[in-house]
Amino acid sequence: MAASLPRKIWQTLGGIKTGVILLILTVILSAAGTVILQRPTTDADEIQRAYSPQMLRLLDAVGLTDVFHAWWFVLLLSLVSLSVVTASVQRFPNAWRFFARPYKSPEEAFRKALPTHKLMRIKDKEAALRVAERVLHKTGFRTERIVRENSFSLFAERNRISEMAVYVVHASLLLIFLGGIIDAEFGWRAFLSLNRGEQASQVQLPNGGKHQLAFAIRCDSAGQENYSDGTPKRWWSNLAVLQDGQELLHKQIVVNDPLVYRGVRFYQASYGLTGKLDRLVLTAVARNGSHIRDVAIGPGEIASLDSDTTVRLADFIPDYVVEDGRVYARSNELVNPAAHLVVESKKSSQAINVWLPPIPGLEQNAYSPYTFEGKNIQMAYFTGLEVSHEPGQWAVWAGVVLMGFGLAVVFYLVHSRIWVVPVRDARGQLQLWIGGAANKNKDAFEQCFDDVAKAIECEIKTLESGVEVPAALLSAN
Amino acid sequence: MATQARVEQRPAAKGTILVVMVGLGIAFLFFMAFLNVVKSGDLLSEANLLYAALIFYGGAASFYLGFGITGTPAHIRFASLATWAGLLANTGAVAHRWYEAGHPPFASIYEMLLSFVWTLAVLTLIAEKKYRVKVIGTVTMPVAIVGVVLMQLLRTDVRPLVPALQSTWLHVHVTLAMLAYAACALSFALAMMFLIQDKMKTETFLAATSLFTAAIYASLLTRFEKWGGLSVVAWSAEERSEVFISKGMRLFVVIPDLGWLMCVVLAAVAAPLVLYCLWRKTHNDGYLLLAHRMVFVSILLQALALIFFVLRTRDGHYYSLDADGQFATSLAASPFILSGLVGGIFVSLLYLLLLWRRSDLEHMLPSADDLDRITYKTIAIAFPLLTLMIAAGAYWANRTWGSYWSWDPKETWAAITWLVYAGYLHMRITRGWRGRRAAYFAILGFAVVMFTFFGVTYLLPGMHSYA
Repeated sequence: MAASLPRKIWQTLGGIKTGVILLILTVILSAAGTVILQRPTTDADEIQRAYSPQMLRLLDAVGLTDVFHAWWFVLLLSLVSLSVVTASVQRFPNAWRFFARPYKSPEEAFRKALPTHKLMRIKDKEAALRVAERVLHKTGFRTERIVRENSFSLFAERNRISEMAVYVVHASLLLIFLGGIIDAEFGWRAFLSLNRGEQASQVQLPNGGKHQLAFAIRCDSAGQENYSDGTPKRWWSNLAVLQDGQELLHKQIVVNDPLVYRGVRFYQASYGLTGKLDRLVLTAVARNGSHIRDVAIGPGEIASLDSDTTVRLADFIPDYVVEDGRVYARSNELVNPAAHLVVESKKSSQAINVWLPPIPGLEQNAYSPYTFEGKNIQMAYFTGLEVSHEPGQWAVWAGVVLMGFGLAVVFYLVHSRIWVVPVRDARGQLQLWIGGAANKNKDAFEQCFDDVAKAIECEIKTLESGVEVPAALLSAN
Repeated sequence: MATQARVEQRPAAKGTILVVMVGLGIAFLFFMAFLNVVKSGDLLSEANLLYAALIFYGGAASFYLGFGITGTPAHIRFASLATWAGLLANTGAVAHRWYEAGHPPFASIYEMLLSFVWTLAVLTLIAEKKYRVKVIGTVTMPVAIVGVVLMQLLRTDVRPLVPALQSTWLHVHVTLAMLAYAACALSFALAMMFLIQDKMKTETFLAATSLFTAAIYASLLTRFEKWGGLSVVAWSAEERSEVFISKGMRLFVVIPDLGWLMCVVLAAVAAPLVLYCLWRKTHNDGYLLLAHRMVFVSILLQALALIFFVLRTRDGHYYSLDADGQFATSLAASPFILSGLVGGIFVSLLYLLLLWRRSDLEHMLPSADDLDRITYKTIAIAFPLLTLMIAAGAYWANRTWGSYWSWDPKETWAAITWLVYAGYLHMRITRGWRGRRAAYFAILGFAVVMFTFFGVTYLLPGMHSYA
């Protein structure tokens, strides 16, 4: 009894019933995973709002709020794979025997049992077989003469590979699973937000952690193109891969066209305002009227206006509001901008606060040797990049290609076999027995078989009646 | 060939009346439409082409139905002719759309319906000409009509493609999906034909019809609100779009009293099922007779519900539970309630047709064995297409979202569809399931397909929000 238990498990796992039960379970649980809100894709608040606290605790406890990562779902998928493997292994030897050692010379019992067959009278074995060979060859069959001790016959077949294709499909499914497991184990997904000119070698993982890359990535420029109605048409970023300060790779990525370096892929995911200033272009006019020039400065930068005077951009607020004599930022949108400039003189070492627009109580605009006028505001944009590492994806794609090939063979290539055997009936009359079998699409095969048999019969008739050649002569040929 | 011979032996009585009537109807509709076109002066616009397609598909449906009832061979010729004409107009509409948008019509649910109806018409003609399943138009043409009517309600303006959709893989993915789904639809229709040919009892069809319509109304009643109202999505007429409270959250308004009406209809459509169960238990034929009467009653009530729904939803203003003030509604915002209501009536009518014309239908169909085989063949076509569709989607997702599989509801349901058909194939090949059980499986598979296509988009949240 003890010895038979593993055997029993083995038998059960490979059974079609087990397979179907596992399939049904997978279907039900996956469906549950689409109906119940899932933790990884939903906001925590939203889940809290959707379910009562007790319900949520229960769902969390059994893992129904994250079905596709729950241990029992993984276990279920492993059982499905195991079932596919056992079923294939159990059935494979038989199929392989069938494939590797085809049944070529039919016994009498087989001939009697085969439903698709035809008998026709012939005068000469050799001539008839030769005709059959020619006809079958023309129809696209591979023919083979089978010579036994006391008989010889003809075996013809087509698309034997079709018998093996179902194992190819099963293997491809396992290959896809394998890729998925590799990615679940060794892959990761992260997010990276870069401003123009910025570089980073750490990416943000969804769980809040960081992942260190073996190289750095820099965003040289990024942008958005719009349709005429203002909806976004295209986002792009120019990215560079750096290692030890050296630029190794440069690529412009757009949505649908990622940058790949050492198995790490960078996708354009979003694009938007950071709320920070990139450059402010000002027109500076000297009080004495001698001097007019444009200066472009970024936050904290200093630009010289003449040999003595410099201007520094101390602060930039995209949407300002004044309360109690202080300036606050209301939002990150460029709605109501204010700039705080500090004009400094080397000689007198005095610093004057200039506010654009002038904010009472803070500005000293009147004392500045220059007046300023805002000309252009360039806000800084960030480019949002999804980063992922999926080392198993090649197994997945290989599996997909293999599955496509396998399915095409399974469904559209028919393994058809035709045997041609000269026999003698009860009265000793010489006859040609033709039988055929196909592993699927039997009605179409029967049509084909009828055509072949008819053609053979027709040719034999013309041969035997038309030219009265002695049989001995024909076979001697 | 045998079926055709049998059909042609039947007397061609009263055939011409229908031909003349439908012909006159089509001519009249075209004349009216022409008067309108003359006024607006734009002859070959997409709307006109679609309208022409609608008229022709309507004519084809009448002829197919006429063939279903009388078996006159002339009807099927005219039906094919009308289908061809409808397909021509439909092709024109697709081409017009393609030209105007600059991309194949796959980007919105409107464009996908356009392609779906086109594929369905093509497959109908193929099934008719190649496989000689002549009455299949009786099922597919009304579906095409519902599709075209739905299109009239949905927003039609060409919207620019959001960045994620600008990919060749969009076209590969959606073309494969449309082909696979249309093949599944065909296998469903064939499985139904098989059940008719397989001498399945009309009582069983009665129970199935009742179950199906009851399911429609039960799912409608998930929108049942306090005080017997029915909540529907609010519609902004200026923006021609649904009203959203926040991202992905639609605003619902409550139409008073409509919920009660739906409850009554649910009771009426479920009654035959209850009576059928009683009949199974007691074998008292009185119950069955009553059940058949109830089908009539339920059709009347369903029609009433449809009329009330249309009248009250079209251009009404109602209060919402989630926001202050009144909001407008439109039929365009509830395409799936509408098609559910129409579908219920349609299925009940089909049942009546089956009840009256059982033997005629059986004469006109290929043999049960043939239907069983053709069903299997269509699934053998649909399954690899489904596989490739999922693969193309995964590859595209990998290029766009950075992951080939993210358990998004649409993805998961596509996988479920795949698994159901895989189950069908395994049971058929290794267990030798043929005939009725296989037919049930094919019907189940199509139900899952429909849920994946429509249900997931409208009921479940996810990344496939644009389709």
